[in-house]
Amino acid sequence: MEDGVITNNIRKLRFNNHEMTQQELADEVGVTRQTVNAIEAAKYSPSLELAFKIAAVFELPLEEVFRYKSLK
Amino acid sequence: MSKQEVLSWTSLATSTSVLVFYILINFGWPDIIPDYSARAVKIFFNVFWIAVIIEIIVEISEGNKKVQKDERDFIIEAKGLKVGYSILVIALMIALVQVFITNLTQNYVPDLPFTLELSTIFHFLFLALFSASAAKRAVMIYNYRKDY
Repeated sequence: MEDGVITNNIRKLRFNNHEMTQQELADEVGVTRQTVNAIEAAKYSPSLELAFKIAAVFELPLEEVFRYKSLK
Repeated sequence: MSKQEVLSWTSLATSTSVLVFYILINFGWPDIIPDYSARAVKIFFNVFWIAVIIEIIVEISEGNKKVQKDERDFIIEAKGLKVGYSILVIALMIALVQVFITNLTQNYVPDLPFTLELSTIFHFLFLALFSASAAKRAVMIYNYRKDY
């Protein structure tokens, strides 16, 4: 039962952040590169803790990194 | 491919190989199809050892990485475990009912059908165990591949 999708602009933020690689971001937040890739592609919704960690890496509030789009 | 995904593939390969060996040793090749048992044994023998070697290589090469398993791996593993656990529980229920029926009928009606020997129940549980393991890994691989 999926009512919406969580989108993000991690790819853009990485690029603007000294072209940070997925592996570098993964190391910063303590996940694998494959998980960062899945999050970027909106195929995996991260836990709240991981979402906050990713936002903290870019020094931005959560809602500027992740957005919830309702499908209804 | 992440370490956990590679390990899922190798585990699926070893579980399937054990299943094939066990079936061939205990039940033989089915009569209704041409006999390729020698070829099947050779293929699955190679698959088994290749999977073991890959697993060792992955453990050595990826062993020093900071993150071995993350939240996504745990979620995917949980999905696989759910399926594997269901298969095991169903198999156990069938085995328990069968043992119960066998004990009951042996006391009252010795020649009644639906009774099983202990070795049959052992074969059934052994196959259920490795089928559950293979199913768990197959579900995990499906969930890993789904993301790409």
